[in-house]
Amino acid sequence: MPSKRKPGKSEASGASKPSPQPTTTTTITTTSATPPPIPPTPPSDDTQTVLDRAKSRSAASRPLDALLHQNGGALSALSRQDQFAWLAARIASRLAKRPAVASLTTTAGAAAVARLSCGGGPKTLKEVWKVVNELSLPLRVAGTTCARKRGYYRNGEGDLRVKDFEARWEKKVVVSCLAVESRCFRDRRERERRGHKEEKTREQVIVTEQEVLEETRRRKEMAALRRELYGGGVGKDGRLATDPEWDDVEPVVLEEPEGALAAIAYPADYAEAMAYLRAVMQAKEYSERCLRLTEHIINMNPAHYTVWLYRAANVFALKLSIPDEVAWLNRVALANLKNYQIWHHRHLLVENYFPTIASDPSTLSSFAAAERSFLQQILSHDTKNYHVWSYRSYLVGKLNLFGDADELAAIEAMIDDDVRNNSAWSHRFFLVFSNPAHASPGFAATEADPKVPAAVVDREIEYAKEKIRLVPQNQSGWNYLRGVLVKGGRKLGSVEEFAGGFVKGLGEGEEAEDVLSTHALDLLAEIYAEQGDKEKADLSLTRLGQKWDRIRMGYWEWRRKCLEAPA
Amino acid sequence: MRQKGVAFPWRKMATQQRRPPAPPSPAHLSPDSETVDEEIIPNRRQPGLMIPDLFTQLPPVRDVLVTETSQVQDETVELCLPLLSGESEELQYNEHGVPPLDRERHVKFLHQCLGQLPGRFVAADASRPWFLYWCLSALTMLGEDVTPYRQSLAATARSMQNDTGGFGGGGRQLSHMATTYAVVLSLALVGGDETYEVVDRKAMWRWLCSLKQPDGGFQVCLGGEEDIRGAYCAAVIISLLRLPLELAPESLAYTGDGSVNLLTGVGDYVRRCQTFEGGISGQPNAEAHGAYAFCALGCLALLDHPGRSIWSYLDVPRLIAWLSSRQYAPEGGFSGRTNKLVDGCYSHWVGGCFPLIEACLNSTSGGCGAPAADDPAIAAASSKRLPPADESLFNREGLIRYILCCCQDQTKRGGLRDKPGKMSDAYHSCYVLSGLSSAQHQWVLDEPEPEATQQQLKGQAEGLVPEKTAGEGTLSSSPLSSLPGGEAVWAVLPYLDGLRIFDNTDRVRPIHPVYAIPQQSVRAMREYFRARPGF
Repeated sequence: MPSKRKPGKSEASGASKPSPQPTTTTTITTTSATPPPIPPTPPSDDTQTVLDRAKSRSAASRPLDALLHQNGGALSALSRQDQFAWLAARIASRLAKRPAVASLTTTAGAAAVARLSCGGGPKTLKEVWKVVNELSLPLRVAGTTCARKRGYYRNGEGDLRVKDFEARWEKKVVVSCLAVESRCFRDRRERERRGHKEEKTREQVIVTEQEVLEETRRRKEMAALRRELYGGGVGKDGRLATDPEWDDVEPVVLEEPEGALAAIAYPADYAEAMAYLRAVMQAKEYSERCLRLTEHIINMNPAHYTVWLYRAANVFALKLSIPDEVAWLNRVALANLKNYQIWHHRHLLVENYFPTIASDPSTLSSFAAAERSFLQQILSHDTKNYHVWSYRSYLVGKLNLFGDADELAAIEAMIDDDVRNNSAWSHRFFLVFSNPAHASPGFAATEADPKVPAAVVDREIEYAKEKIRLVPQNQSGWNYLRGVLVKGGRKLGSVEEFAGGFVKGLGEGEEAEDVLSTHALDLLAEIYAEQGDKEKADLSLTRLGQKWDRIRMGYWEWRRKCLEAPA
Repeated sequence: MRQKGVAFPWRKMATQQRRPPAPPSPAHLSPDSETVDEEIIPNRRQPGLMIPDLFTQLPPVRDVLVTETSQVQDETVELCLPLLSGESEELQYNEHGVPPLDRERHVKFLHQCLGQLPGRFVAADASRPWFLYWCLSALTMLGEDVTPYRQSLAATARSMQNDTGGFGGGGRQLSHMATTYAVVLSLALVGGDETYEVVDRKAMWRWLCSLKQPDGGFQVCLGGEEDIRGAYCAAVIISLLRLPLELAPESLAYTGDGSVNLLTGVGDYVRRCQTFEGGISGQPNAEAHGAYAFCALGCLALLDHPGRSIWSYLDVPRLIAWLSSRQYAPEGGFSGRTNKLVDGCYSHWVGGCFPLIEACLNSTSGGCGAPAADDPAIAAASSKRLPPADESLFNREGLIRYILCCCQDQTKRGGLRDKPGKMSDAYHSCYVLSGLSSAQHQWVLDEPEPEATQQQLKGQAEGLVPEKTAGEGTLSSSPLSSLPGGEAVWAVLPYLDGLRIFDNTDRVRPIHPVYAIPQQSVRAMREYFRARPGF
């Protein structure tokens, strides 16, 4: 196959081996009627950027395009000679891209090329070459500015001055060379570890101290160059293996057993990071670099409980600032809403932090406020996130926020926002009825607690009723109401009138009967049973099963049987 | 192949029994109700399909106020309705408007999930044992032979085991209760003595002791959270491996006087997780959640005969009310919490609670059995007697419709899913099929011998009396091993009441209501370790 040369590539090689002047351009000295167009020569001073250079090269290699452009882009506006010259340049550059074909000398071959290129015969082709020779038109055309679009110059390299770009390029070459040497070193060390022999001498592979020293120096140099070239971030592969900071760690590579099930084809950077993690965990190392390593792995796999626990151990061993860790955690949590390892980590942080601030009311209250503000933020993304709510109830217990007006207000706002948010209702129940100020310990959630003040029970009953009136078929409200009645030791019958308001003409025929809430009817059935009115209770349950909540027919039938059972 | 229009004898029988005034149109059965406002309206677009309007219409009681919850709920119903009412062109419906179980594609999907997973599965690096369990369990339910995986599973499991006991999510990861549970169940699923021998039981026992907390619960891993999953997984592991209940002195819960063993206080821990709604939360003071309800019941069913233990520690009527509320119409599937959406996985987490609840209700010793808790309030509560559950407490037809119409991936990918519009995955494939299995079968629990078990319980707590095994007839050679609930003898039958809306070939294999693997796998593993006293 002939080597294909694309205009873009020729520019690329031009960039990699910079030469002062583009070699493919020549000025046109011909017999042409029009004076040959001279492309505007950009100042080749220090301020020229790489992209400017590419543009000027491109223009210089297309002198006739510039002429055409001056004439408004219409070929007909040019003289016949110029028209032909323009055409000849196009054809010749196409032929130049197919060197093997263009070099055909046979008549048949030449004819084929001519047809291919311009639809003419061998005679036309001859004309083309004549014009090209006479005008010394460039055969290879430099790429245009689309180089930027294709991302040829990455990270803003196109805007660098030529001199800087060349210096940068040299550094890249140096890093590549060092990486190759480092790779060789690591291969040798690996062969040493496996007890291989040198191929030529059949001697045991031994890595000398000198080699290790060289490698250390090499890594330092590479790391410095990389930092200079790419800033903090580094390339994907070999991040740790070539980082001098990790030089002393021998990664623990795990090989999956043969035929391992559900084996994951780990990306190289993940596998490498895990190998280093195993090594430092085994050595029980706690350090800044371990902390960074856990962050690196957590970014790739936030569900890795082992890494999270190790991170916590590092934070505590290094006695790092808990608020700093919490701030870091907030960012991770927002990026991984569904993850729950995050919340246990937070739990551990609070367990550790609390004793240090327990005696300082102002720090305590500002910490509580910050936590609440973050919880509100994350719940605004995912209002029913189970792990967030579980953590929230833990936090309330730990910091004793039961009586905190802000906490209750925040929950009320969430219920106002979506009155069907059962997580918010559950949290409210916890806030009110687990408050150690008046709750007695040891009672199950569905048992009456004699110590809860009547005023609190009344308030909660009113609250639930008010919300139920908004959406009578909302089970959250009814479950809450029933829960409050039981906890407060009230008779269910105390809300008979209220519940009855959602059920009309029960059993009075299809027309008269209307149910606005199946949960009201359910509660009424219990109330009637409580009052010993089995008949009405039975009717309520029957109608639930027959019409209003048919999917639960089996349950309603069982409830009917409960009415018969000896109390 | 699909059989259409075949009259099965029991269906005819059931129809005659339940509906004496033979209705003109083929009627949908509803137990114990002679007048039901339910019609099977011939579907306009798909004439001839017999689908009760319960599954093709919006529920009769709906509120006007729109909130985020009602919006996503309405969207979900909108996605499900066409599939449920026989209108989807991708589905091949039988005369009941139910598509077949696409075994072939699901099997292929599951085998694939057991093979090499691509790099994007890196987020599952800490839960690979779950993939093993989900796939092997689902394949088993689909009738596949999983014994060819014996060797590779044993090798994989070995690579995940820690010298300090238990299995991690992968090599050199901390041992975790959930991953250990998944590995042990996987080993039981493929079976074989050599496979069982992978487990280092002594180290496992020590490790479990180190996770036991003074409040009765278990941490999920050293330094990890304490929740009800930990309690359920621990009970399953102890029971399957027949580990001793004694506590190692290193344990946080160790008292030195022998009054506390591995399972002391577990029941009370579970009790603290019941919420005011009646459901169970993951840890005390959180929201009631379907997955934890199953963990709670499974755990209690292992502590003692479910006819006693569930009664002793839970407010059963409230729990049943809450569980039953999880089923929605027209979707037919279960949700995991109040005002949340249906999701195929709750077919197991919630659906799987019903066999245990039914066992509890149907046990004659149940309601009046001696309470295990010393709390007078609970004793009083359990003295009230509840009627047995003769009929199904949940709507089996609805659940089966949801699973077969809405949870099967319709592309060539195969596998089962959360709901229409979601991708299938191994997790949902397993738990949707488990739910299908519990909807298609019924479990009956043998009665315990009240006195013997009481003595045994007492004896076990004191570490003195050899355990007597109900049903299996032999004495255990290990004095302090295993749980009485693990000895409960369950019998399974296909559920035949009412109308069968799916083809008989679509019945999946039954799984044990507590261990969620086939009964013979449970028996084989427990038998193996019975013969190995001590470590």
